[in-house]
Amino acid sequence: MIRLQNVHKNYGGRPALINVNLHVAPGDFAFLVGPSGAGKSTLMRLLYREEIPTSGTVFIGGLNLNRLPANQVHLLRRRLGIVFQDYKLLPRQTVFANIAYVLQALGVHERDIKRRVSSALCVVNLEDKEEAYPDELSGGEQQRVGIARAIVNGPPVLLADEPTGNLDPATSLEIVQLLSRINERGTTVLISTHDQIIVNALRKRVISLRHGEIISDVESGVYEGEAASV
Amino acid sequence: MRQSRIIKAVIIETWLGLKQSGWSNWLVISILAIALTIFGGILQLTISLQNLVSSWGSQLEVSAYLKDGYEPRTVAIEIRQMPAVQSVEIVPKESAWQEMQKSLHVAAIENPLPNTLHIKVLASNKVEDIASRVKLLSSVENVRFPLQAARRLNQVRQFLQIAGLVLTAALTMATLTVIGNTIHLVIEARQREIEILSLMGVSPFYIKSPLILQGAAYGAVSSLLAIAFLWSVHIYLDPYISEQLLGIAPLIASSLKVSLFNTFAVLMLLGMAVGASGSWWTSGKYIKL
Repeated sequence: MIRLQNVHKNYGGRPALINVNLHVAPGDFAFLVGPSGAGKSTLMRLLYREEIPTSGTVFIGGLNLNRLPANQVHLLRRRLGIVFQDYKLLPRQTVFANIAYVLQALGVHERDIKRRVSSALCVVNLEDKEEAYPDELSGGEQQRVGIARAIVNGPPVLLADEPTGNLDPATSLEIVQLLSRINERGTTVLISTHDQIIVNALRKRVISLRHGEIISDVESGVYEGEAASV
Repeated sequence: MRQSRIIKAVIIETWLGLKQSGWSNWLVISILAIALTIFGGILQLTISLQNLVSSWGSQLEVSAYLKDGYEPRTVAIEIRQMPAVQSVEIVPKESAWQEMQKSLHVAAIENPLPNTLHIKVLASNKVEDIASRVKLLSSVENVRFPLQAARRLNQVRQFLQIAGLVLTAALTMATLTVIGNTIHLVIEARQREIEILSLMGVSPFYIKSPLILQGAAYGAVSSLLAIAFLWSVHIYLDPYISEQLLGIAPLIASSLKVSLFNTFAVLMLLGMAVGASGSWWTSGKYIKL
């Protein structure tokens, strides 16, 4: 589902990713771990074509992102669900409107929008918060809205870039368990994080990055934290 | 159906963008309306002058004013020998003077008018040639022909056209700048939405179209204001021209009627094109998808 072959990414001559080779199969759940500056976010941005590699090739579902014309990037992103550390919710829109917004832009029928938003809110256990505004919700609830928005279009791949970065440990665990449940429904999930607690609690595949290089890729792995990565 | 729902959503986004822009909408609309009014006014004037020039220019007639002491009939025979002359009509100074006294109530003074010959020419390209040949006759004091006046009028029209284009271009540039700034503000205000929409896979068409439509809406409203103003001026001036300018009036009035609709159509298209292109350029510059 996700494949990177000999990927290098430089910013002004400074390497952010060095010869990264990675394969995530359909239905996999994987953590991408490493300290700040290890290259996790850069790798995630390559996957949703916010960036293009300096060299090497990135594939999503067999699609070569290097060859994807700029005017077709939106078609790739429709096949991805993306969750962000800062939630990226529209503050003046209700929870329902935040999730429905993208569906409206895609021309989905009003009746289907209601059904799909309700279903997504049900998955994240926020059925009763449809009419609430983001600032009326806790951080964990806002992130769950972000996840509902990411899955509302039924994407085969879910990318979560530091989804628990702004949350307390208990809420972080809830969020990552929610992502795990979404994975059980067949969605490929890749989470970038430096949160030791959530990685070690789930014992899933752990891909470790350090200074832009993959230093380990372990099934049912743990993350020793930043000290171990230095 | 899906497309129509997307278009509906784009229109709603456009409306929200217009609401968000507040007072700056009116700043853009007023500047663009002024530019379009000037352009439309000059366009209207030049089209009318063009029609006038054409009507005058196509009159195949030369008037020759004779010196005192020459027999009009003899001169007429001489002129009729010239090639391309169709006919020569003699207007004796006595009958011309009587006519003038009757229509303009002129005081009883000595007749100042010369004997006149109206020479009909076979083809328009021969008018100037005949006029210059007639003028060389020792019996002829002066000649006048409509083509000459038409040429002068044409020079005025060309000057107006150039001045109008320069002025319109300058105002259009100013308008584009104001539209650009307004759309830039909308983009800034909606930066987060745009970023989210882009990351969620919404097409650039959906993201940029509301902004381009907003620019086109500015153009449409500005054009309507300009058209309303020009129409009012036309309504006000038409009877005035008819009353005051007697002979020329029907010609100008009919020219105006013919070209008015075309001018309004041009204004509407130009307004919407300027508005939309200003927004298109700005959204291309500030929205990187």
